[in-house]
Amino acid sequence: MQNIKIETEKLSLFYGKVQALNNISLNIEEKKITALIGPSGCGKSTYLRTLNRMNDLIPDVNITGTVKIDGIDIYGKKIDVVKLRRRVGMVFQKSNAFPKTVYDNVAYGPKINGVKSKKMLDEIVETSLKRAAIWDEVKDRLNEFAYSLSGGQQQRICIARALAVNPEIILMDEPASALDPISTSKIEELIFELKKSITIVIVTHNLQQAARVSDFCAFFLSGEIIEFDPTRKMFMSPKDERTQNYITGKFG
Amino acid sequence: MYQYLEEELDLLKTKVIKMGSLVEEQLEFAVKSLFEGNLEMGKIVIERDSKVDKYDVKIDKLCQKIFALTQPVAVDLRLIMSALKINNDLERMGDIAVNIAERAEPLANNIDLLKRVQLDIMAEKVMTVVQKAIDSFVNNDHEIALSVIKSDDIIDEMDRTIFYKLIDEMTKDSSLVNAGAHSISLLRHLERLADHSTNIAEEVIFLVDAKIIKHKNNLDNLDIKSEEII
Repeated sequence: MQNIKIETEKLSLFYGKVQALNNISLNIEEKKITALIGPSGCGKSTYLRTLNRMNDLIPDVNITGTVKIDGIDIYGKKIDVVKLRRRVGMVFQKSNAFPKTVYDNVAYGPKINGVKSKKMLDEIVETSLKRAAIWDEVKDRLNEFAYSLSGGQQQRICIARALAVNPEIILMDEPASALDPISTSKIEELIFELKKSITIVIVTHNLQQAARVSDFCAFFLSGEIIEFDPTRKMFMSPKDERTQNYITGKFG
Repeated sequence: MYQYLEEELDLLKTKVIKMGSLVEEQLEFAVKSLFEGNLEMGKIVIERDSKVDKYDVKIDKLCQKIFALTQPVAVDLRLIMSALKINNDLERMGDIAVNIAERAEPLANNIDLLKRVQLDIMAEKVMTVVQKAIDSFVNNDHEIALSVIKSDDIIDEMDRTIFYKLIDEMTKDSSLVNAGAHSISLLRHLERLADHSTNIAEEVIFLVDAKIIKHKNNLDNLDIKSEEII
């Protein structure tokens, strides 16, 4: 690995007494796509949420071990969680557009971060929508409600909204699982384009999607990482029999 | 879903094994027809080649279907890729069986020449290599596959020696030129059979160990302890 962006060491997470992550050590490379795969309940989404401290919002969560971004422990005392989440954006399974116009959805982040100039906001909205590959479809509909768009378009609006605050990392939790094949392929192309400037960690149940888009792949099972390798290697010659059984569909 | 894939993969493997057995029998018949002067056996080989060709097409189609419908990965993907290539080699070996059988008639009166230059011994060794290559696929046997690869050098050496023996025979007795030319062609066919067997063995290594050792790449990294088979 050349440039490690996220470094996880001996990370364990408990929901009350239930251990969801067990001693996870994983390095995520900068400006690459890392896919997290594994059966339901294996801990991949929980792990994803530790990377921008989204689990902090859940009561009774206990975390041990470290997660470092650019070498700094994000669970350190001096860390401003709001600033952290600005650096580490998130896109969810179900598009969660705000009940606002397309423009306001995308301008929301910059606005609460203090950008007041209309000209600057216009610029950010346009750039973000272009980066999210949806500008051509919505440039004449910026003042329409985001809900009036299709599911695939709403998901790209959410990605544009995440991009508007210039994150260094984007976490995606099954971003295309509710979309049709054409919208899925648009999202995948977009992810590919984004990795030129952003580190992406994606949770997916769609193994073909993991194989298509990711550079690295981590296989989770029962809260542990069973195997982490370049995707090409994992899908051609997995080291562990459990990985082989999962990716070939023998269980899971 | 996996059960469907598993059934298709089992079917694929069975078809390749059946094709392998057929090709092996074709070669046995061809070699016998040549060295025993049994022209009837040669005819059977020529007639049955269309059966080998049918397997070739069936296996190709089955692989296409599995690729299109199941997007296989890991060991499943490697099985289909190796089956496709082994299929290709087996089809070529089937053609060689026909070529050998076609030599039976022109060489019928020169079996003593073939034995004098030890083409019969080479044919026997090549047949062992062919059988072992197919066995290695049937049993996913890495060791046998490696021993097949190792044997190729011995066959190559025999090829060179016999070639010069034939030249020698023809130089001494010009009435042997016609039989000698057919024998050189036969020699090439036998040598190619060993090459195809090596290809099959390399595919078995790819299937079992996920390692590409074609053109003797990475061969030094493999722990070759296998016994000589010929």
